[in-house]
Amino acid sequence: MSSLKANALSAFLIKYGILIAFLVICILLSIATPFFFTSQNILIVLRQVSINGILAIGVTFVIITGGIDLSLGSVLALTGVVAAGFAHPDTYPLIVPIGLALMTGLIIGAANGFIITLGKVAPFIVTLGMMTIARGLALVWSGGRPVTNLSPAFNYIGGGDFLFIPVPILLFLLVIILSGVTLKYTRIGRYIYAVGGNEEAARASGIRVNRVKLFAYILCGLLAGLAGVVLAARINTGQPNAGIAYELDAIAAVVIGGTSLMGGRGSIMGTVIGVLIIGVINNGLDLLNVSSYYQQIVKGVIIIGAVLLDRRGG
Amino acid sequence: MDFLLQAENISKSFPGVRALNNVQLQVKKGTVHALMGENGAGKSTLMKILVGMYRPDEGSIYFKGQSVHFKSVHDAIQSGITMIHQELLPFPDLSVAENIFMGNEPRGIFPGWINLSKRNRDAKELLERLGLKIAVNQRMGGLSIAETQMVEIARALSNKAELIIMDEPTSALSDKETSILFDIIRELKREGISIIYISHKMDEILHIADTITVMRDGEWIGTYPATEVSQDKLISFIVGRELNTIFERRNHKLGDELFSVSNLDGAKFKGISFSVRSGEVLGIAGLMGAGRTEVVNAIFGLEQITAGTIKVKGRPVKISAPNDAIGCGIGLITEDRKRTGLVLSATVKDNMSLASLKKISRGPFIKKRKEVEVARREVRRFAIKTPSVNQVINYLSGGNQQKVVMAKVLLNDPDIIMLDEPTRGIDIGAKAEIYKLINELAAMGKAIIVISSELPEVLGLSDRILVMREGRIQAELTANEATQEKIMQYAMNTTGYNYQ
Amino acid sequence: MKVNTVYLLLFAGLLFFSCNQGAKKGEDGQIVIGASMLSLQSEFVVNVKDAMEAYAREKGIRLIVSDAQRTADKQVQQIEALISQKVDAIILNPCEVEASSPAVEKAKAAGIPLINVNSETTAVPDGFVGSHDEESGEIAMEEIARRLGGKGNIVIMDGYMGQAAQIKRAIGAKKILEKYPGIKVLAEQTAEWDRAKAMSLMENWIQSYGNQLNAVFAHNDEMGMGALQALEQAGLKDKVVVVSIDAIADALQAVKAGRLDATVYQDAKGEGEGAVEMAIKMAKHEPIEKTSVFIPFQLVTRDNVDAFLK
Repeated sequence: MSSLKANALSAFLIKYGILIAFLVICILLSIATPFFFTSQNILIVLRQVSINGILAIGVTFVIITGGIDLSLGSVLALTGVVAAGFAHPDTYPLIVPIGLALMTGLIIGAANGFIITLGKVAPFIVTLGMMTIARGLALVWSGGRPVTNLSPAFNYIGGGDFLFIPVPILLFLLVIILSGVTLKYTRIGRYIYAVGGNEEAARASGIRVNRVKLFAYILCGLLAGLAGVVLAARINTGQPNAGIAYELDAIAAVVIGGTSLMGGRGSIMGTVIGVLIIGVINNGLDLLNVSSYYQQIVKGVIIIGAVLLDRRGG
Repeated sequence: MDFLLQAENISKSFPGVRALNNVQLQVKKGTVHALMGENGAGKSTLMKILVGMYRPDEGSIYFKGQSVHFKSVHDAIQSGITMIHQELLPFPDLSVAENIFMGNEPRGIFPGWINLSKRNRDAKELLERLGLKIAVNQRMGGLSIAETQMVEIARALSNKAELIIMDEPTSALSDKETSILFDIIRELKREGISIIYISHKMDEILHIADTITVMRDGEWIGTYPATEVSQDKLISFIVGRELNTIFERRNHKLGDELFSVSNLDGAKFKGISFSVRSGEVLGIAGLMGAGRTEVVNAIFGLEQITAGTIKVKGRPVKISAPNDAIGCGIGLITEDRKRTGLVLSATVKDNMSLASLKKISRGPFIKKRKEVEVARREVRRFAIKTPSVNQVINYLSGGNQQKVVMAKVLLNDPDIIMLDEPTRGIDIGAKAEIYKLINELAAMGKAIIVISSELPEVLGLSDRILVMREGRIQAELTANEATQEKIMQYAMNTTGYNYQ
Repeated sequence: MKVNTVYLLLFAGLLFFSCNQGAKKGEDGQIVIGASMLSLQSEFVVNVKDAMEAYAREKGIRLIVSDAQRTADKQVQQIEALISQKVDAIILNPCEVEASSPAVEKAKAAGIPLINVNSETTAVPDGFVGSHDEESGEIAMEEIARRLGGKGNIVIMDGYMGQAAQIKRAIGAKKILEKYPGIKVLAEQTAEWDRAKAMSLMENWIQSYGNQLNAVFAHNDEMGMGALQALEQAGLKDKVVVVSIDAIADALQAVKAGRLDATVYQDAKGEGEGAVEMAIKMAKHEPIEKTSVFIPFQLVTRDNVDAFLK
């Protein structure tokens, strides 16, 4: 039966379309430049994507509940300068800057979540407001200047290796595993899908919808805090103007990865592949020395193309 | 050839499901052609192919003698085929006239302008032609379901439809509204318009249809003149076996009082008091909008209660969210499975376990193997037709979806079970299975509350019947004293009426 | 109800608090100067602003500073607001050469003296205190050429494409490159003034050009520091010269430590003070010797870095 064969093919594409797109991009880049497919370059790409990756995983949770978080980039900057402020050499033990940054991210996420659920305000509006609030807080905290002179122990988080693997990559991996398990194997993970898929039905099934949403926004803020620490450690400064428009890269990665902006559908693995696609494109275009102007066009075309290929089956 | 529409050897597959297999359908001009079959028999798929929503894998369609290949709903409408969906899709904030001419507005003097006076005049003419008293500038959202449906028919006429497909047009209509609809259908026939009429209601079909086509499991079973088949014969064609009796009377003793409410007030009801005993089925009858759904929703914590008490096993309980109700051993099978019953994007298994995940978890983790086991068990128990428990539920037929909703609620093992219109839009075979299940649950000592707009169903199932009107309980009748006439009398506050 | 009241109070409080910092118009003839700055998220601009504020405080005049956030349109609106507040003089730190020009013309039409600080607009203002941005690109590239002996392979990190500073620094660098045909530009790419982006870009370039590379020119110190870190991680720093522009604190420290080879100092304090001084004179209608004050860029290397570290 030809129709059955076509069905099998479309089912295959639905499941693996985006992975195929990723592999195609990788193969094309390997042919185009000898510098792409080397172990060193692969490590570099992974290290570069780890920050966007951690952000994207956080916002995946929010998007599956049917929400959005536009405050990510600003939260990244805020938590970065907060961490940097406590990370000067010979001041506090390492746990203090990390703990405070994560706590800051968590509080911002909780604020987003509470206003969205209890205040019944659209996530787009709340997080848009929080975007400028967090940016303002970052500028106030840092006085508009980069916070520099950070301890080597802190910088190790962004630039160090552990067992020959860069620390940011290890952190990214840890986040992938923990969040993947949470989404796939725990009740809260299932509830997140249910709330995004049909909030009314979830409520009628006895799920406390507001708590589930709150969890997603808090986790998203917390991970933005972690990304802020990694970024500050990577560039050895807390930059109040870092991370502008990073939320868009993160959301793009999530959508490329097959998560529906309407909620109810998506996966961590999809997001990881989305993040890798963006990372590989950035890296490859630099390796090929494509002009800055054309890079932007090429990037946009590839993003839309990848999603189109993914939707083919659907 | 005097056939308006001929569909030949139509086949269609979806991932994992063969929905149609060599199906045919021939509709004569100016006739009502009924299409019958259980949910999942392929009726909806066939109709979606006729109106261009799906394209067939195989087969051909001839309309007015011409071979047609509709690429979109728009194509079909242009050619003269319009479908009126079971779930009506109007624009509630626009006027009746705007709805009728949506996408087909009379042109004004400039490109892109609408000739408003012509539009309103034409709309008024169409409504009058159908004998309707609806103001054309009224807001669509303010109309009743029946009126909305009439407007949809007017809309079809505005598109010069020659074939109108009606999917379960009477599922939300009262008997009186139904008879108005039938008058309109007869008028349309007289004008030479053909109707494909999909319904599960046997008496209606025998009343209005000229020809009946029966489908089962994606296959064409037969086409019969309405005058030559009996109701029993039709049922046997539809389910593929003889169906003896739909309702079995139970024969067991009632136990202690399990559940009671007293003087409940809410936004749409007032002073509601009743009790249910173990093993008892309490029916709640009434017209649409009588406040029945609001009462059970409020008991379940989906709507607010402003006064009154709820007692479970004699003890007062506080319910402010569904979670509390579930904790008290109450289960609700909601009225609208697509809106409040199911997560349509999730699988059969995920939907089934959603309300009872705590039972199959260790700490925060779901026991995945156990979950699949439970889901498979329930699929067998309820005879749910699905290729696998991992099938996305959106692809299942209405009856099978409804069974999943029931399985979900029952997995929490509730003592008090409330069912709101449990058989709406479900075929007769699935209905019988659900009735049997309700009886079994009662026999197990559960307290059961059933809301239904179908009087035979309420009468057949209930030990006791409450009749509601305008947010209040009007009467309480025992199974022995209740009749259709009596119930309607209380429900409508009139001295009875005649079904023609 | 109750919650709404709380919100309202909070909101009103916030408004009061934020207004409190702005709107007191000068009493008893105190001179008021308004300023619209390119971006208070840029360290250099913040330094200029700080110098302006310190000098204004010393002279006992009132300074209203607004942040145009790199948007010329917003900048024009801010100047309009200053005009309607009837300030005595305006200091403009332009966002764009062309797009900020209407601001200059509007102030002129209103008869309020306007001074451009740091960079230029097409419309001619009453006064100018700043530098030719091209010069910074020239100085930086000249230093690279000197260190490479006029021969070698370099990469260039551009600022945000299309912004005045990026365009001018690129022009200055190109001018010098024409003198040294032995220097080859392997790649030129934007890192949008951003340290993290510069670091990623440098990592990628190291993959393609690692062993051929002799020098990096970055349009600002943020990007220079990013490139520096990437080179250090790859163990290539001792083979590659890095020169950037702005002399921000972090970069000066790096120069002192021998990590960054050179940066180009732009005198934020001189520009800020000079602009306020000229504005006061114009507001008082005092005679002015020169309406255009050019503050030269200075090359900072390990030899002279101590003079710039405060």
